[in-house]
Amino acid sequence: MASPLLQALLDGLFAGGTYALMAAGMALILGVVKVINLSHGAFFTLGAYVAYALAAHGIGSPIAAVPLAAVIAFAFGVFLGKSFVNPVRGHPFALPVGTLAVALLFEQAAQMVWGPHPLSIEAGAPWVGPGGLVLRRWGVVALLSSAAMLGGLKWVLSARPGLPLRLIAEDEEIAGSLGMDVEAIRFLTFGGACAMAAAAGALLSPSGAVTPTMGRAPLLLSLVVVIVAGMDSVGAIFLLSIGLGILGSACAWFLSPQWSYVALLAAVCLLLSARPAGIVALAGRRD
Amino acid sequence: MLAPLSGPYAAGGTSFVQAATLAVEQANAEGGVFGQRVTIVVGDTQGRVDVAKAEALRLISREKVSALVGAYLSEETVGVMEVAAAQKTVLLVPVAATAEITDLVRREYARYRCVFRVGYSLAQWAEMIAAFLADQKVRRYAFVGAGIRWNLELGETLERIVAPRGATPVYTAFYSPGNPAFDTVAVAAAAAAPDMVVLADPGRNSVSFLKRLREAAPALPVLSIGGALGDARLAASIPLSAPVYVQAAAWRGASPAATAYVERYEQRYGAPPVGYSDTLPYDAVTVLVAAWRKAGSAATADVVPVLERGTFSGAAGAYRFDAAHQAHWGTGPGTLHGTFVRWERGGARIVFPPR
Repeated sequence: MASPLLQALLDGLFAGGTYALMAAGMALILGVVKVINLSHGAFFTLGAYVAYALAAHGIGSPIAAVPLAAVIAFAFGVFLGKSFVNPVRGHPFALPVGTLAVALLFEQAAQMVWGPHPLSIEAGAPWVGPGGLVLRRWGVVALLSSAAMLGGLKWVLSARPGLPLRLIAEDEEIAGSLGMDVEAIRFLTFGGACAMAAAAGALLSPSGAVTPTMGRAPLLLSLVVVIVAGMDSVGAIFLLSIGLGILGSACAWFLSPQWSYVALLAAVCLLLSARPAGIVALAGRRD
Repeated sequence: MLAPLSGPYAAGGTSFVQAATLAVEQANAEGGVFGQRVTIVVGDTQGRVDVAKAEALRLISREKVSALVGAYLSEETVGVMEVAAAQKTVLLVPVAATAEITDLVRREYARYRCVFRVGYSLAQWAEMIAAFLADQKVRRYAFVGAGIRWNLELGETLERIVAPRGATPVYTAFYSPGNPAFDTVAVAAAAAAPDMVVLADPGRNSVSFLKRLREAAPALPVLSIGGALGDARLAASIPLSAPVYVQAAAWRGASPAATAYVERYEQRYGAPPVGYSDTLPYDAVTVLVAAWRKAGSAATADVVPVLERGTFSGAAGAYRFDAAHQAHWGTGPGTLHGTFVRWERGGARIVFPPR
């Protein structure tokens, strides 16, 4: 067996990958639609249940579930964005409460359909790396997928197809005056971010138990990551996710497992007190 | 019935209510009590002490229930005890294992005489686990679980009980139920090279932890106590590269009564019970109904002496209560002894105690 400490830190790296995977969609919603979407975790859960449903029908690979989960979540997300998010977007307190209600409704619905009992998908054996290091299969998947998803997001935002998103993020009035359908771009972006969360849920479903409330923990951490990193920097989101993952593992190793979460939140508080607008806030940006 | 139907322990709470409902249906099929149907009213405790106490008060004062069964967590149950004692209402405790419950009955009998624990106490639980570990020739074990009260107490109690038998915990860790550090705990537990990991987690996290542990140490046996790993629906997907044992109050094949209960449960709900958070509430309601019938009344003053002196049949065996109102669980003759099973691809096999 490899050095346990090295293994623990490597696992922290993978845990950071899972935070980043969820944070990718959250950053898109916060950056473009400019709302705090507390139903993001519910879409993560939806993706996991889609993967479970396919596995129960003999399609065991969660990768196969990703497209279906993404399509279903996109459709739900667009509906939610158009029917609820866009109309009440001007009321800052209504949206978090409303999206939280959506999340709770989804949890209740999932409990009615699949029951409150934990469900599980076979995870498969891990890969053994150099020096006997265990490469957790779904940890590697999370890390690579988050890098790919955030890289793709960075490319989209910097290339020509992402110009409307960038412009809306910067100044909606100017985007509107240029003839862009701001409302439509907003709800399509919302749907796209929901699809990203569901894809993450499907990919990571074999790593643990599938339950109605499984999206709550990743929701909180992804929200924290995006707010602390600043939604403008995809690279900072990725690096902060990885940093928090490793920090959590190091604290669990050196202090106590129960202290790891406390340490994460303490680190976040320190970062926010030093840079309230996020680590990589753009100077002079209009909101 | 007081059970967490929402929050992190909703799965266990739902099993609670399902099993209790089954027991009530069984009682009503046998003619009910005093010619009347037994009705179950449920309060959702959400796994929180304040909510559990408020729900207990609501059930007694507004719903006019004759007795309480619950709650789930030790913290909740101690809170509910206060309400039951103040309202002089019988409280049957199915799973909460903290020593405080029976200690209070022993110390302040007049106040808490209406409280009876059907499930095992921590000392009894530790005794049963210690007997199993000895049977499996375990000398070094890791004790890992959710950082909740009964786990912390059970870990300490088990350590005290196994010490004279030459067994020692080589690693002990408790993770936060809200955001557990599974990976690190699994790596550290594997690095300590125990003969077996005792996994004390009643919730969904037991599944996630087992997967992480199997990745870190594929050949390390695990004993799950009080957890979701008794669910047959999970067994097909949990990694069985090394033995996974589950401790239950009763299991199919352990006795005719246990088998009959499992079959009824499976017929009613489409899946077999997990053997803990369903079996003990089932037996709690069964004991309560039997006590009402024997007493000829549901009044607390009539039911308490009957519970103190009588013997009551349940799925796990024959229940009798000691002076602290604790059911006799353990390894000696005449006690309820529980069952240890080992998951295999085709199902579970009883491995202890030997039949």
